[in-house]
Amino acid sequence: MNYFPDEVIEHVFDFITSHKDRNAVSLVCKSWYKIERMSRQIVFIGNCYAISPEGVIARFPELKSLTLKGKPHFADFNLVPHDWGGILYPWIEAFAKSRVGLEELRLKRMVVSDESLELLSKSFVNFKALVLVSCEGFSTDGLAAVAANCRFLRELDLQENEVEDHRGHWISRFPESCTSLVSLNLACLKGEINLSALERLVARSPNLKSLRLSRAVPLDALQKILMRAPQLVDLGTGSFVHDPASDAYNKLKATILKCKSIKSLSGFLEVAPRCLSAIHPICHNLTSLNLSYAPGIHGNDLIKLIQHCRKLERLWILDCIGDKGLGIVASTCKELQELRVFPSDPYGVGNAAVTEEGLVAISAGCPKLHSLLYFCQQMTNAALITVAKNCSNFTRFRLCILDPTRPDPVTMQPLDEGFGAIVQSCKRLRRLSLSGLLTDRVFLYIGMYAEQLEMLSIAFAGDSDKGMLYVLNGCKKLRKLEIRDSPFGDTALLTDVGKYETMRSLWMSSCEVTLGGCKTLAKNRPMLNVEIINEDDQIDFSSDDRQKVGKMYLYRTLVGPRKDAPEFVWTLSRRWVGTDLVKQHNSNSSKFLTMAGQEKSQKSQGWSKNPVPSGWNCHNIGVLSKNYCTRIIGYEDLKGTMA
Amino acid sequence: MATRLYLYKAKVAASLSSHQKKMGRATSCSSSSTASSTQLRKDLSTDLRLGLSISNFQQDAPNSLPRVRDQPSDWPPITPLLRKALEVEDQNESNSVTFFVKVYMEGIPIGRKLDLLAHDGYHDLIRTLDHMFNTTILWSEVEDGAHSEKCHVLTYEDKEGDWLMVGDVPWELFLSSVKRLKITRA
Repeated sequence: MNYFPDEVIEHVFDFITSHKDRNAVSLVCKSWYKIERMSRQIVFIGNCYAISPEGVIARFPELKSLTLKGKPHFADFNLVPHDWGGILYPWIEAFAKSRVGLEELRLKRMVVSDESLELLSKSFVNFKALVLVSCEGFSTDGLAAVAANCRFLRELDLQENEVEDHRGHWISRFPESCTSLVSLNLACLKGEINLSALERLVARSPNLKSLRLSRAVPLDALQKILMRAPQLVDLGTGSFVHDPASDAYNKLKATILKCKSIKSLSGFLEVAPRCLSAIHPICHNLTSLNLSYAPGIHGNDLIKLIQHCRKLERLWILDCIGDKGLGIVASTCKELQELRVFPSDPYGVGNAAVTEEGLVAISAGCPKLHSLLYFCQQMTNAALITVAKNCSNFTRFRLCILDPTRPDPVTMQPLDEGFGAIVQSCKRLRRLSLSGLLTDRVFLYIGMYAEQLEMLSIAFAGDSDKGMLYVLNGCKKLRKLEIRDSPFGDTALLTDVGKYETMRSLWMSSCEVTLGGCKTLAKNRPMLNVEIINEDDQIDFSSDDRQKVGKMYLYRTLVGPRKDAPEFVWTLSRRWVGTDLVKQHNSNSSKFLTMAGQEKSQKSQGWSKNPVPSGWNCHNIGVLSKNYCTRIIGYEDLKGTMA
Repeated sequence: MATRLYLYKAKVAASLSSHQKKMGRATSCSSSSTASSTQLRKDLSTDLRLGLSISNFQQDAPNSLPRVRDQPSDWPPITPLLRKALEVEDQNESNSVTFFVKVYMEGIPIGRKLDLLAHDGYHDLIRTLDHMFNTTILWSEVEDGAHSEKCHVLTYEDKEGDWLMVGDVPWELFLSSVKRLKITRA
């Protein structure tokens, strides 16, 4: 089939960078599969439990850059217990063992331990970039190891992580010879930072383009740092509090004027509003502005700032800007592509906040807008219909009404027609989040019109199973569906079970799904893991199948149930064949009773993926600590076991 | 051939458990059916179901009436980091920390009291004192000589008991070392 030598094809493949395209290319024929797999350097894994690290290495031995995602998206909102999983260590261990030439690691919602960071820093000589987003489980000790051992580190980007701060100056662990830093993001760190070490680090990093500081860096330190790095393109300030009449502040104003390259600004984690005038001079160059962590800036100061930002393409802001402020954004920021408006008063009745007026103004004034996240007090159908008419370019549309079942306050109708207009008009819509009072009708519209939809988030919406069915039937490109507090039950769940193998994952919490429904779903589906998160032992698995399941998470996988699931996660799976095995609490090496009643102690390592041949009535189970318990409820006649 | 489902339950191996980090919040987040709910945040969904009856839920939660005070930690859908940042700001605004110090003018036996934290910096402070004592006050940033005898100089006593002229050190440092103020004749 190949008219060209392999090297030529490989060279052609070098130009194909998108994962989807490379995946498609690898399906053409065996030869292309082989060439593609040997040349793929950037690997993206949307669910770390869909494949094993060994599997990844086997297929892509030349990989240099890995992106891994762990917990489901709703973990961001406290819906997933912390020790659910998403553990990094086995990946680093496997990669180190196979001597993968890892250079870049990007993680999202993973549990990253200090040990894994240390192993990482010592195992990969050319390691260059570490990006951790919404991760947890590590401390500044782990960061110290990365700083000390990764000699060619270019990027250390910590976004929204939970980092435990230990005393000790981890910044000082960057050796004097480390001059390669391009990007350093420390904004989420909570503890003290050795300011002089930081300043010296910045001074010896001539390539530093992006620097985001934490709260612990005061304004005068910022000034000294900026003096060393006038070439910065992206700046995140730490604490921006000072006496605006002082010398230090005036020095800062002068220094900022020298930073002519800054295009992106964020931070202001602590701010004295009178100090903001210092940054007005650089506003006219800004394309990205993130003030979502600056609740100390009130409406008028925000407006004053934004009036200088004519080139803004991305704006993240708090709702204290108000509808009036959004009007000013609409008339000033004609290049705006992405807008996020976060709630500054999430629990209160709120006077501040924005309503549908602000959104309509933005849609009218910003023709390039395609990505929206909007927390508001209320929304009307009329407004949404107008927005849909004004802006048909949306690829991401996420609306969150703070009172999640609030109807249109003018007509008291559900918001079905409004969202319907959005999906009908925005033909390129890939991501949608709904809120407000919604019936099954909105899902009918979504199923009919949202042809490109890949991710849908539903909360407190719908009347019956029909709603979910409309979506599952209609949205052919759906990859991620997450639902909470909606009345969808077993019928919706089970009507088209094959659909889930075309998707990455499905999350359903506080819905009407029952234990029996989940069991039926998992039957005959070796490619799906159906997990039930059973906090506080709410579900009694030995009894009624009609019990409602509080939280269910299912995802497609090539490797069966995961071995690191904590005790409150129950995986329903048909693949694992076994007998009733009971753990002996007191022994150091667990012993197991087989169906035949004979004791057998564990011998071999690891789980076997295939059912055990006759002679053994239980799995080959690795040596486990005494806390490890496996209990398989239900029996299978091994003689007739599936292959 | 009849096939059955298998359910199994696994505990985290000891080596992995050392990787678990304890976070500040309760580990059970949105579960709402335990009696010891002091730690658990009430699930808004139960509130809404009980209050709004949006669908036929057969929730077996033994909760009583929705508690208005309790703030759900899973709604609105914002990240914990933002939630904390907003809480901190909320506290900052409502705490109204104060720092009152005594101010005496030379020759006047009865002094005044002044909240230093209500001021942004030295300029603000001087303005207030000018008004309070109806005079022009000199401090370290003001040039000498151009004023008549009617002026006064602002000094302060620091933690070591020394009297110094106001304005030489950064405002924050001044706040941390000042004990009281005195306005002396120039």
